[in-house]
Amino acid sequence: MSRITELQKNLFGGTTSNARQFGMISTLVAIVLLFQIWTGGLTLTSGNLIAVVSQYSYILILAIGMLMVIVAGHIDLSVGSVAAFTGIVVAKAMQEYSLPWPVGILLGLAVGAAIGAWQGFWVAYVGVPAFIVTLAGMLLFRGGNQYIGNADTVPVPTGFRDIGAGFLPEVGPDTGYNNLTLLLGLAACLGVVWREWTARQTRRDMNADATPLWVSGIRLAVMLGVIVFATLRFAGGRIGTSLPISGIILIVLVLAYSYYTRNTIGGRHIYAVGGNARAAELSGVKLRQVNFLVMMNMSVLAALAGMIFVARSSASGPQDGLSWELDAIAAVFIGGAAVSGGLGTISGSIVGGLVMALLNNGLQLEGVGSDMVQIIKGLVLLLAVAFDVYSKKQGRFSIIGTLMRPFHRNETATPVGPPNPASDPDKAQVAS
Amino acid sequence: MRTSITRGIAAAGAVVLLTLGTACSNEREGSTGTDGGDAKGFAKDSLVGVALPAKTSENWVLAGDLFTNGLKEAGFKADVQYAGASTTVADQQAQISSMVTKGAKVIVIGATDASQLSTQVAQAKQAGATVIAYDRLITNTPDVDYYIAFDNFKVGQLQGQALLDGMKAKKAKGPWTIELFSGSPDDNNSKVFFDGAMDVLKPLIDKGDIVVGSGQKNIKQTAIQGWKAENAQQRMDSLLTSTYSKKKLDGVLSPNDTLARAIITSVKGAGKPVPVVTGQDSEVESVKSIMAGEQYSTINKDTRKLVAETVNMVKSLQKGDKPEINDTKSYDNGVKVVPAYLLPPVIVTKETAAEAYANDPKLAPLTK
Amino acid sequence: MIRSSNLLEMRSITKTFPGVRALADVNLVVKEGEIHAICGENGAGKSTLMKVLSGVHPHGSYTGDIVYRGDEVRFHDIRASEHAGIVIIHQELALVPGMSITENIFLGNEPRRRGAIDWKTAQRRALELMEQVGLQEDPDTLVKDIGVGKQQLVEIAKAFAKDVKLLILDEPTAALNEADSQHLLDLLRGFKRQGITSIMISHKLNEIEAVADTITILRDGRTIESLDVKADGVNEDRIVRGMVGRELNSRFPEHTPDIGEVFFEVRDWTVKHPSSDERLVCKGSAFTVRRGEIVGFAGLMGAGRTELAMSLFGRSYGTYLSGRVFKDGKEIQLKSVADAIRHGLAYVSEDRKSIGLNLLDDIKTSMVAAKLSKIARRRVIDPVREHSIAEEYRTSLRIKTPSVDEGVVKLSGGNQQKVVLAKWMFTDPDLLILDEPTRGIDVGAKYEIYGIIQRLVGQGKGVIVISSELPELIGLCDRIYTVFEGAITGEVTRRDANPELLMKKMTSITKTATP
Repeated sequence: MSRITELQKNLFGGTTSNARQFGMISTLVAIVLLFQIWTGGLTLTSGNLIAVVSQYSYILILAIGMLMVIVAGHIDLSVGSVAAFTGIVVAKAMQEYSLPWPVGILLGLAVGAAIGAWQGFWVAYVGVPAFIVTLAGMLLFRGGNQYIGNADTVPVPTGFRDIGAGFLPEVGPDTGYNNLTLLLGLAACLGVVWREWTARQTRRDMNADATPLWVSGIRLAVMLGVIVFATLRFAGGRIGTSLPISGIILIVLVLAYSYYTRNTIGGRHIYAVGGNARAAELSGVKLRQVNFLVMMNMSVLAALAGMIFVARSSASGPQDGLSWELDAIAAVFIGGAAVSGGLGTISGSIVGGLVMALLNNGLQLEGVGSDMVQIIKGLVLLLAVAFDVYSKKQGRFSIIGTLMRPFHRNETATPVGPPNPASDPDKAQVAS
Repeated sequence: MRTSITRGIAAAGAVVLLTLGTACSNEREGSTGTDGGDAKGFAKDSLVGVALPAKTSENWVLAGDLFTNGLKEAGFKADVQYAGASTTVADQQAQISSMVTKGAKVIVIGATDASQLSTQVAQAKQAGATVIAYDRLITNTPDVDYYIAFDNFKVGQLQGQALLDGMKAKKAKGPWTIELFSGSPDDNNSKVFFDGAMDVLKPLIDKGDIVVGSGQKNIKQTAIQGWKAENAQQRMDSLLTSTYSKKKLDGVLSPNDTLARAIITSVKGAGKPVPVVTGQDSEVESVKSIMAGEQYSTINKDTRKLVAETVNMVKSLQKGDKPEINDTKSYDNGVKVVPAYLLPPVIVTKETAAEAYANDPKLAPLTK
Repeated sequence: MIRSSNLLEMRSITKTFPGVRALADVNLVVKEGEIHAICGENGAGKSTLMKVLSGVHPHGSYTGDIVYRGDEVRFHDIRASEHAGIVIIHQELALVPGMSITENIFLGNEPRRRGAIDWKTAQRRALELMEQVGLQEDPDTLVKDIGVGKQQLVEIAKAFAKDVKLLILDEPTAALNEADSQHLLDLLRGFKRQGITSIMISHKLNEIEAVADTITILRDGRTIESLDVKADGVNEDRIVRGMVGRELNSRFPEHTPDIGEVFFEVRDWTVKHPSSDERLVCKGSAFTVRRGEIVGFAGLMGAGRTELAMSLFGRSYGTYLSGRVFKDGKEIQLKSVADAIRHGLAYVSEDRKSIGLNLLDDIKTSMVAAKLSKIARRRVIDPVREHSIAEEYRTSLRIKTPSVDEGVVKLSGGNQQKVVLAKWMFTDPDLLILDEPTRGIDVGAKYEIYGIIQRLVGQGKGVIVISSELPELIGLCDRIYTVFEGAITGEVTRRDANPELLMKKMTSITKTATP
């Protein structure tokens, strides 16, 4: 194996389908570079990065939940309306009953959980397709928002605004940077080093070929470089700004949910249900419970996203959350999730969301109108998924292709290589 | 495999890092501008940002074009943005942030939702930009510098007066029976129009000279969601059924032309005589309707004038002068009283139309 | 001019799929105006032969000639063969449930007038055709609202609408009850009088005996013989001998059974079909399994073996009506798959691709999927244990793959089946139910899987094998139950087992059921 391919394999971790991931990340880098040059260096300024994070964190939070919904083989169209509904309920509660804002946040999460339980019930226990349940939810909760808010805008108190518009405080000596952000960056660096170390450790325990040390070194250097760069950028903004609180919430959620989906039984079950629901059921997975929790979780995250948006806008209004579902769904699919479920990653969806966010931001910095921005985003979504479909057609591993192929009865005994295109010579009948 | 993207992100970042070098200039500086950056003025070719709502009405499209041209003529760089049709608030927030990033010295905002922009306005303020609320007052924030609009209270007063005049012309003596309509509840101006009109009508209602047939006098009862014609028509239809099967309706207070035409359509549909109906905006169809003797009045708020005055304001700010202000007490946005420059609106009826639209290339031919 | 009285001759048809020869030098001669039955075990090549005839496998993908009505024909698709008047009616009916009878009859063949569908003509002709096939229904009735038997008739009427000369019926009575079957057979006799030739593929030997004029028997992709029913004095036993009459060669590893006590018992197991109201898929089934014993379930397709197994495995099929399950003398409740796994049951599905495996998974993920708790601490999966367990199975089951990180989709059928076996062995079951464990697997892998099964019983587990291959059951099992139309019709020990006996028991209700 040449060093180049070894490097590529190890950097992108890939066994299957790393072409897609490599493609997505290259796209992201290309977009950043393109706009960095085009806008004369505005894209990567502290101010802009901070603005991008606080503007899109709520969409990315939705993308986390949406990824899990889509992996489980469903869809949620109601997230925007759920977000708007929660926003108005929380805003009203704080305004009329002068609820303290921390209680307001808890209330919002509870509202999200209740809505999620409602939708999860219909999807998991009654068996109404999620598309229908959440289409109904979209209308239901949009109407609920207008009913409760009288289609009016309701302001929220200052303390509450911090979750959407707040920054880390300035503490400690004057270093020329926001000290807390620096500390976070340091923690991230340590975390990355620790992870690389334990990963090597794990591979050794598995008796797998250890990654060559120089590859680990490069990987580590790259990641630390990015973290240091990002830390300095976020810490070096105007006094009073830092990594936004909403960004911190996002990072915590991304880490937590990535861990959950990758490393826990619950996470495995989501992929199992989406990959083949019947097979999962016959393996003892509680299908209904998984579907219920996935739908419920989505609504809780939608509620959180809604509150962050309201906090950032300092008021809850009737237009909150309009077409958020589309942004979140687009992020998930650009990030490589399969329409039929069972495939996709949180980190992929975040990359997908960032592609959309930076595209949006870059075009706005260039003064491109929102009409053109929408056209361009639409094309990007289409091309990203078309690229995926195309590369699968070119003989690479393809899920859809595999599923569409009739069951083959006899294969050659070669263990590796694409499944051969035999069709069934006799019926392979499923008992029914 | 599921971890590989994280690694990929890292790789991507590295490329960025290497490409840009570590030219990581620190942007750390104290917040400027709060101490009256406008007093010092700024470079003559500075960027001026204009953030407008979605292109849903002719008026905003016209305003956008006028801003682009007007600011360019004055030597500024103009960045005029409309919010997307479906994602209005979030879009506008992002657009304002972008303008701040690009270093706009003045940001003119025609708000989509007047109370959901305080974070962005604060950001603009801290970056040293001056914020002008155009046509709609931005609320819940201390960071709006100026407000420029037509005097909407005056608009309301004129509408109220016109309604009264129109009814008197048909039937010299009261009591007159009327119905009230007001604008969308999420538009700050709706209340101002309504209050202005009630300023004229309320004393007469109290005296009993004017009777609101349905008894719906509260702005919550009279509001038309989203300024939508179909909503107005629906409300009028139900009023006609519930209240005016026998009674005669003399006049309807309508806050704008779109609603006025919807009301007239409804009345005609029910086979009733058309009452006196007010309006606003000088829309082409309504001017035709006025000339045909159906709608009674409209208001002429010349977008050209408003944009021109806004550009003038930007010019004075550039020079470091205080811009002209003619109202320092009426516009309280919930946090502070915003200094305002108000343009006078003009009432137009069939009699005055020819004169009012003499300079308007589109409307003038209709009045002949 | 002398015309041959043969409507159809298929000469030396050979059809290969990658890795397997499905048909080898098959000959079929069908005389004008007869009812011709084709018999053979599952996988003997009957359906493949019909697919060659109807153009599903187009000309060029097989070798040999087809002579139809005196001319050599080359069908490139179904439309071509239908155009020639050859219509095949598959086991799974090709009807659109939400359309009316008329619409279905003329689907893809609509009478047109000036570009639009001529519904008047369609209605009139539909009524004629329905009378021809003896279907009394309103032609506007939706197909989903009539029973399977009538649906079958709609399918035949649809064939007649295409001006059929040769009607091919693949297992026409498999899903029908006695009365509907009888009606269909009468109908076939009627067609014969009208001069329409039929080919019928069926497992129901009594029906074949009753209606067929000629029987062609296929075995392992070859023509064994063609029998003239009247002249040769054919009866069921004669057909069975033709179907299974091959030597049982030593395709099974040496194994000395060590059978213990009965530890698993099912009584009065009755289950209703999930969508049909009256159909029972298990009728009071009762059976036992001993420790260290391999128990076979023999039956034809649709007999209810899979349904029995899946309904036992946590009620994964149909609606439970009655029945009790005992393990080690105690009654156990198996209301969900989780219950079943907890009580030490494992079910390896006959259809590993659509319900046995998640084809998106890699090998190690698949292997641990049914008992994740075993490799997790506080619900967090330990990747090191997962990997080492997968490696253990890879070695012990000799799964051919470069790495357990590969996707299961890349494996051959035999290796996939080993992954599924590993998945269920990982749950530490006491009773494994293996449904068609060697379907679609080459001979070498079959031998290995038999070895694995014998190792499992060697450890004192019980194994149930459901198979449609009688030699496999006879060679592998200590005891075999036969199943017919949802009922257990017999129990045969290893000593007594022979194909003729089994075939007889699994094709008729000769109630010799044991406890």
